[in-house]
Amino acid sequence: MTAATLAMQPAPRVVLQYRDVRKLYGDFVALSGVSMEVERGQVVCLIGPSGSGKSTLLRCTNALETLDGGELLFDGVPLPRDPASIRKVRQRMGMVFQNFELFPHKTAIQNVMMGPSTVLGLSEQQSRARAEALLVKVGLSDKAGNYPANLSGGQQQRVAIARALAMEPEVMLFDEPTSALDPETIGEVLNVMKALADDGMTMVVVTHEMTFARRVADHVVVFESGQIIEQGPPAQIFDAPIQARTRDFLGHLGWDA
Amino acid sequence: MDFNYDPVLQSWRFLLDGLQVTLLLSGGVAACSLILGTLVGLARRYGPQWLRVVLVFYIDSMRAIPVLVVLVWIYFALPAITGWNLPPFWSALFALSFHLAAYVAEVIRAGIESVRPGQVRAGLALGMSGPQIVRKIVLPQAIVRMMPAFGSLLSLAIKDTAIAAVIAVPELMRRADAVAGQSYAPVEVFSTVMIIYFLIIFPVTRAVDMVYKRIAFLGRS
Repeated sequence: MTAATLAMQPAPRVVLQYRDVRKLYGDFVALSGVSMEVERGQVVCLIGPSGSGKSTLLRCTNALETLDGGELLFDGVPLPRDPASIRKVRQRMGMVFQNFELFPHKTAIQNVMMGPSTVLGLSEQQSRARAEALLVKVGLSDKAGNYPANLSGGQQQRVAIARALAMEPEVMLFDEPTSALDPETIGEVLNVMKALADDGMTMVVVTHEMTFARRVADHVVVFESGQIIEQGPPAQIFDAPIQARTRDFLGHLGWDA
Repeated sequence: MDFNYDPVLQSWRFLLDGLQVTLLLSGGVAACSLILGTLVGLARRYGPQWLRVVLVFYIDSMRAIPVLVVLVWIYFALPAITGWNLPPFWSALFALSFHLAAYVAEVIRAGIESVRPGQVRAGLALGMSGPQIVRKIVLPQAIVRMMPAFGSLLSLAIKDTAIAAVIAVPELMRRADAVAGQSYAPVEVFSTVMIIYFLIIFPVTRAVDMVYKRIAFLGRS
């Protein structure tokens, strides 16, 4: 195949492919035999008990952790090893953290501008325009000048989502985005995520919000002890789980399958 | 007993000139130790392994040796070894800065390490490089978090200049000693000097504290 015909190929349908992924912390097996796929435009929710490896898988996805075995393909290409190429990959993935990790010394809009101005090299004007549009999108245009210390948890997380979106990523990774929030602010963050999904964003979401997973996910993956015990469409996982352990996990959460 | 403040009043200009030297030396020590200590602290945290070993040795020795010994060694022993003759003021500036920089380096390192690892991850996730993360995320927060410690070091930078009296730098303490010796009024002279030092340093530490209280949130992630 020549370069020209290669360029004509449509973007691969599968954006992320995990093949027999393995991750160790010393003797502790954090992930083993994890195989799954994320298709373009899909919302994939990873659920399961705490410490079951969901967040570890997410961190492996943008190379914040390295694999100890197996393969992880992004757009059909294995994750690179050298720092410069890893940075290129990370620029194409947005990540949202459980504890927001907004930069406390920057205002909301400066947080959103950080990626475009330092990494993409956009001018002050261009990155400001991009950041303003994103703050509108997450419903916080009136808080642009606030420092994170003067925002509620839900507002901070929405700024963090805007910050990740400012890189115009192909995939968004959410690591328990509502776990650190007060119950009354969870809804505003989930609504922003739902709107993103409706826009066709490819999303991998580690979550304990079963209602969200049920309503928004195209594909649900259930983790336990570093392994996938079941995966399938939400209707299967929540209404007719095949594995008894899935039923147990959902039962513990009060979900009546 | 009767207090006689005439000697202080008669030599006020002499003492004031000494205060000027004290402030000049303090400012010099604060600036030099800040620059040197920052470089040492950064190199110790991010530099190559061999350099870290050398710097840890420097920091540990400076913390183990009294500042008076460092000062006297640089003024009396260093010229004997190297043949360089530094005037007293420059010897004092060099010795005090060299000593204090070790403490500055420790504060810098602790400040950097106190920034949450999640902040670095957030920068990495955006695709930022290591140096970008240090410059734009870690250091700005670390500097805010270091302010209270820098406040104490600044007061040390001022106080420690009094030690320069032993190598005859004509600063406040040295001159006070001279006045006290001639006038036989040590209580009056040294009490005055004590109050002067307090009046300089107390507002400095209060001011640093007040500024810190107002900007602490910038370093709190």
